[in-house]
Amino acid sequence: MISVLVTGAHTPTGQRLVHSLVADTRVRHVLAVDRTPPPEAPPRLASRLRTMQVDLTKSRKVRELLFGPARDLGVEVMVHLGQQGDARARGRRVHKANVDALRSMLDLADRHPTIRRVVVRSFAVVYRVSMDLPTLVTEDHPLNLAPSAAQYVRDRVEADLTACTRMGLVKAEIVVLRCAEAMAPGTGSQLYDYLRAPVAFRPMGFDPMVNVATVDDLVAAIEGATHGSGEGVFNIPGFDTLPLSAAAHKWGTRMLPMPGPLVQPLYNMRHRLVGSSFSYGLNRHRMHFGLVLDGTRAKHELGYVPRHPVHWPHGRAARAPLPTADDANGRRSS
Amino acid sequence: MPFPPTIAKALSRLGGRAVRDRAERLAFSDAGHGYDRFGMHPDFVAVGDALVSPLYDHYFRVKSYGSEHIPAEGPAILAGNHSGTLPLDGAMLFLDVLRHTNPPRVARPVADYFVLALPVVSTFFARSGVVGGSRGNARALLESGELLMIFPEGVPGIGKPFSDRYQLQEWTKGHCELAIRHGAPIVPVGIVGAEEQMPQLARFRAPKGSPLPYIPIPLTLIPFPVRYHIHYGAPIPLHEEFTPDQADDPAVVSEAAARVKAAVQALLDKGLSERKGIFR
Repeated sequence: MISVLVTGAHTPTGQRLVHSLVADTRVRHVLAVDRTPPPEAPPRLASRLRTMQVDLTKSRKVRELLFGPARDLGVEVMVHLGQQGDARARGRRVHKANVDALRSMLDLADRHPTIRRVVVRSFAVVYRVSMDLPTLVTEDHPLNLAPSAAQYVRDRVEADLTACTRMGLVKAEIVVLRCAEAMAPGTGSQLYDYLRAPVAFRPMGFDPMVNVATVDDLVAAIEGATHGSGEGVFNIPGFDTLPLSAAAHKWGTRMLPMPGPLVQPLYNMRHRLVGSSFSYGLNRHRMHFGLVLDGTRAKHELGYVPRHPVHWPHGRAARAPLPTADDANGRRSS
Repeated sequence: MPFPPTIAKALSRLGGRAVRDRAERLAFSDAGHGYDRFGMHPDFVAVGDALVSPLYDHYFRVKSYGSEHIPAEGPAILAGNHSGTLPLDGAMLFLDVLRHTNPPRVARPVADYFVLALPVVSTFFARSGVVGGSRGNARALLESGELLMIFPEGVPGIGKPFSDRYQLQEWTKGHCELAIRHGAPIVPVGIVGAEEQMPQLARFRAPKGSPLPYIPIPLTLIPFPVRYHIHYGAPIPLHEEFTPDQADDPAVVSEAAARVKAAVQALLDKGLSERKGIFR
């Protein structure tokens, strides 16, 4: 039996994770933390669930959380989901929420009496996309360290690297999960924002492959990492791999190919007029060359295999992929 | 993509029953929505088949020799000479493999990076099985047991001057490293005919910002109707001679690449000595 601290507990992924952990008989207590006020917990869960409103950008509050309620509950695993989801949010405070909060938690976890494992949710957006790089991305793929990248990307890369550089140096085991985008509201998915519009523009002549996940699969991966052992970086792909145009068709979005140089001004205009949070500049390379996460390492070491296809409003769900060579050779596929 | 798979399927019917039959029997790893993880779709492979077949059968009148050397399954690499200003040798080899394997296998062409930056072309190529020439893509395909088509001469090969025809240019070594590391035999391929299809008079530097490596000035706007002779050699089982760790040894990889190059050159020499003329 373990106790788990979840940050970002009121995000869609956080809420689903908390419910799943509370229902898990291997979990003694769940300490659910978010900067927003806690929603009413269902009574049947209340005894094993404690919710707290904490501003993780304040290092004092983080210290009080970890060496107060977390220590008292004997929290062994800390799951960090508390990054800012809005791609257009920027500034010092956003950076504090995205990076400094994690840094403080990792520093404190090193001298914490009970925390032995930290699971950090990272994002596929940390990877660099370019024509001279593989479409199928493994964990050793170059990260997007371009100085011109948006703060949304830079913060995520910095947070990811902050966790990676502490692996083996701090007492706690650190697991970084680089997750595919979830096709769900409130998850910070750029692709969801992109396809939510009735008309989506894409650069003419390009139709890259995309991989999308569901919140259920992300929660399954985080739970697997919570109960697992060892540390490392893992890609967490989703069940659905398909061309962008096919995703738009299945989502019911009309796709309008436009000459490449016109797409960015159109999205800038759309943002000004209707406030869309999709940023074409952030996704420009991905709209040309595509990016599909290779989940082989997560499959072999965490036992994670995506099982939940996206519910496409206007299309058939994906068929289960055919067995791979690994499966045929009898390797673990759980 | 300019058109969806349903239209691709309809278009491929123009190629006849044999084209559809090949598409339906294609060895293919569906990632769930009818496409593989790199974007290949059998109906687009069939469109490629239907488009290339008239060239293969009637224009270049391709003759194939030694296709029994193409492995029916498992990872393998086809390594051949590259030439002809336009990559029609790749298209002919692609179709030749499709027609001479059972079930039909797609030889996944490994293209230079600039191809991926070409609008429409990059998408159609991806749907037909072409992948970008990064080591990661090649690794993933070999680990999935796929057949790769690599032209180790690269762009300098396709752009070689007419006076250098059938003289292999600088031979890159990455294919040998991949073969040793991932346990894939290399099948040498000598393509005779393509080197005379479109002699280049000159080449100009591509405009700034263009993805093209250069602008070729060929003698004619369309290729000559030369006859293609595609010769496959016996597989070179580098993986049986070397351990995967030796893929990091530059001397081993260089020696292996020299052997593959010599095997391709031998096939070219044999093919040239046997053919009765450029158009025959």
